Amino acid sequence: MRRQKEEDYLSGNLTAMIDVVFQLIIFFVCTVSMQEKSIDESIHLAMAPHGEVSKDKNPLEINIDVDRNGAISISRQRVTEGTLYSILTKVAAEYGARNVPVIIRGDGKVKHGSVRTVMDACARAGIWKIKISALKEKG
Amino acid sequence: MIDVAFQLLSFFIITVKPQDVVANLNVYRPSPEKTNTQETSPAKMIRIQVFPEAFVINDREVSVRQLEALLLKLAEIDKNQTILIMCANAAPHEKLVQVLDICAKEGLSNLSVVSSGGY
Repeated sequence: MRRQKEEDYLSGNLTAMIDVVFQLIIFFVCTVSMQEKSIDESIHLAMAPHGEVSKDKNPLEINIDVDRNGAISISRQRVTEGTLYSILTKVAAEYGARNVPVIIRGDGKVKHGSVRTVMDACARAGIWKIKISALKEKG
Repeated sequence: MIDVAFQLLSFFIITVKPQDVVANLNVYRPSPEKTNTQETSPAKMIRIQVFPEAFVINDREVSVRQLEALLLKLAEIDKNQTILIMCANAAPHEKLVQVLDICAKEGLSNLSVVSSGGY
C-alpha cells in the first residue's frame, strides 16, 4: 500500500509536468514570428527546376520584388526607380558593391522591361552580383 | 494530456503549409573591368535573343526543345562557351528564367545578360 501511494504520488507529479511542457510548446508555436512576413506572396515566381538552391543566407543580400504590373518593392514597401537606386548606392558605399548580392524576385508574367529597370539600377550603383529567384519545386 | 496532444495535432494539421523550394539563377552582367580584359570575338559568342513569342539563337529562330538540344550540344563541346542573352523588353520574365534554367541544366556558366537600348 505504501508503494502504491509512492507510485501514485510520482505519476501525479509527472502528469502535471508533461501538461506544463505541452502548454509551453503551444505557447512557443503560437508566438513564433514568421520570417516569411517580408515575402510578398502575390508574386508567382517562374519555374526553374535546375537552378541552384542557395543554402547559406547572406545577411547583406537585398531582395527586390517585381510584381506582375512591374511595381518594384523591397520587403513589401513600394519603391520608385530613383529610391531603389539611392538605396543600392548607399548599401554599395557602406558594404562594398562586390559584397552585396541582389536577388530579384520577379513575377513570371511581368515584362522583362521592369526587371531590366532593376538590373540597370544595380549596374549604375556598381552592383554586379545579381541573382534571379525562381521556383525549383512547387510546395 | 491526450487532449492537449490532440490540440497540438489539430493545430499542426490546420497550419502546416508545404514550402516552395526556391532556386537562385546567377545573372552575369558585363562588369566594367571584364569588358576591358575579355574580348571574345562575336563569331565565337553564342547569342540568344528572347522575344515574347520566340527564341532566336545566332539569328535562327528555334523552339524551346530545339534551344535545349542546341545548348546540350554546345555544352558537350565546351562548357565555358560565352553565351550572350538579350531579352526583349516586352518578353515575359519567365522566358528569361527558362533560358537561364536550360543553361544551368547543361552546366553553361559563362553567361551574360545584356541590355541594349530600345531592344
